[in-house]
Amino acid sequence: MDIDTGRIADFARRIRKDIVEMVYLAKDGHPGPALSITDIVATLYDSVLRIDPGNPRWDGRDRLILSKGHSCTAVYSALARKGYFSPSILPELRALGSILQGHPVMDKTPGIDMTSGSLGNGLSIGVGMALASAYTKKGFDVFVITGDGELQEGIVWEGALSAAKYRLGRLIVFVDRNGWQSGSTCDEVGGRCPILPRFEAFGWHCQEIDGHDIRAIASAVEAARKETGRPSAIIADTVKGKGVPFMENDNSWHKRVPTKEQYEEAMSVLSERAT
Amino acid sequence: MMEFKGSREAFVAALVEIAEKDPRVVFISADSLKAARATTFADRFPDRYFEAGLAEQNAVAIAAGLAACGLKPYVITYGGFITMRACEQVRTFCAYPELDVTFAGLNGGLIGGEREGVTHQSIEDVGIMRTIPGITVFEPADAAETYALAKAAAGIRGPVYFRLGSGREPDVFPAGIDVEVGKLRKVMDYGADVALISTGFVLDRVIGAAEILKKEGIGAVVASVHAVKPLDADGIVGLLSSCKAAVTVEDHNVVGGLGSAVAELAADRCPTRIARLGIQDRFPESGPASELADKYGLSAASIADAARKLVAAKPA
Repeated sequence: MDIDTGRIADFARRIRKDIVEMVYLAKDGHPGPALSITDIVATLYDSVLRIDPGNPRWDGRDRLILSKGHSCTAVYSALARKGYFSPSILPELRALGSILQGHPVMDKTPGIDMTSGSLGNGLSIGVGMALASAYTKKGFDVFVITGDGELQEGIVWEGALSAAKYRLGRLIVFVDRNGWQSGSTCDEVGGRCPILPRFEAFGWHCQEIDGHDIRAIASAVEAARKETGRPSAIIADTVKGKGVPFMENDNSWHKRVPTKEQYEEAMSVLSERAT
Repeated sequence: MMEFKGSREAFVAALVEIAEKDPRVVFISADSLKAARATTFADRFPDRYFEAGLAEQNAVAIAAGLAACGLKPYVITYGGFITMRACEQVRTFCAYPELDVTFAGLNGGLIGGEREGVTHQSIEDVGIMRTIPGITVFEPADAAETYALAKAAAGIRGPVYFRLGSGREPDVFPAGIDVEVGKLRKVMDYGADVALISTGFVLDRVIGAAEILKKEGIGAVVASVHAVKPLDADGIVGLLSSCKAAVTVEDHNVVGGLGSAVAELAADRCPTRIARLGIQDRFPESGPASELADKYGLSAASIADAARKLVAAKPA
């Protein structure tokens, strides 16, 4: 895949600034888990997804389900910056009457393909969309971004079995393996169980990548798209809070609002350095 | 004229006809193909039959994904499993996004669930579904009405829940009967002493009660309500205002179903003495359908007793 990594890195930095600013202005939201998926989101919206921001309901578009819906600030920013709606709306996150709900809602926000936020459900819904892609012969791909903590939800594995059974090559699932969930580390909360062997056991094509390496993300999608006879899991190692040093791997930023000083420090760091 | 062995068969016959005309219609099973009597659909449309496995949450989530891409999925499995195990998927991923997903819940009530026992007897399904915004809830009275209603309701936007039985529910209406979607049906009119308001597969019992009452000089109106949500509010208020008292009858817990809906409406628009008959907020047990329904207060005699007491207690 021919990609412009510099442009995508700039896009990712723009998204990270939006995430911090949205949470700061809304005085609410989840910065840490949004920052961990930012490079995946930036790469998908810049170079991977076949979409038309001028026609958000185009029936042949690739679909993206943000199963970890609490990370929606990353996707809201990407959609605004791609032209689905004005970036001036971003500060209205979680406000009364806003199109930017606390978790994604498909009919309120242009570009959101599926309502999400109740964890664990995105993969199964993606199975339905991939079945629709095949049945309607529209040939679109279905991307799901799931957290690692939410893999504790049983429905994930109900869907994983169906996806393999129906050989859904158009279903590509990113697992944002940042190692944390609301309460603590995933290992501590839910128990240790390696992710890749689980998906492999279900018959999936599996890859492990650095979830902050733009070229690796694009290459993994390219490989996944070549797997036409089985679904793909791309297990992306990420850092919760990535890009804002004082948030990185500090789980208090799962859901937390920066102070004015922290906000200014974050914006300053994000303005300086490429991520 | 088509005749069916019960509401499951009737529903799938309608579904096949709907699917013949609309290629967006697909069917999702949760290992419920045989229970739903849906092998005819799978044989006729193999590429439109999706087997989600014994996994109801998965089945409903898959339906949501299909519907979000413009298809019109039907999910048929046991009512308790749709409304309890997959309740969140129905609510958050079908009802909230206003997707066109139709659910048919088998084994509604005691007459539907009978010998299987409490695990497979749905006595809360209507109440659970009724609390979800934007969903339509239907309880047809027999197979003929199920067929007519399924066909007539195919164009309804947003999620729809049909309550079906086991296949042993009695036939009340003649084959080929029409239905006016959402409107109550006045089945008998013996007077204005009491309105007997029935939903689902207890209608023959309610008719039996009206006959008993008639012999005693108590005139009853019998109305069959197939739409528990949205309720035919004007139709029900008309009954309540024209009769001295009302009895609701349903094969469901008295909490949350038709009785609750009618009582809520009466409180809003037409305060009326109402007796709510159904399962009295307790768990039932296994047993043959008819005897089981009798034991839990749904015999014609029990319904007549309740109506008689209500009419007698009513101040002159």
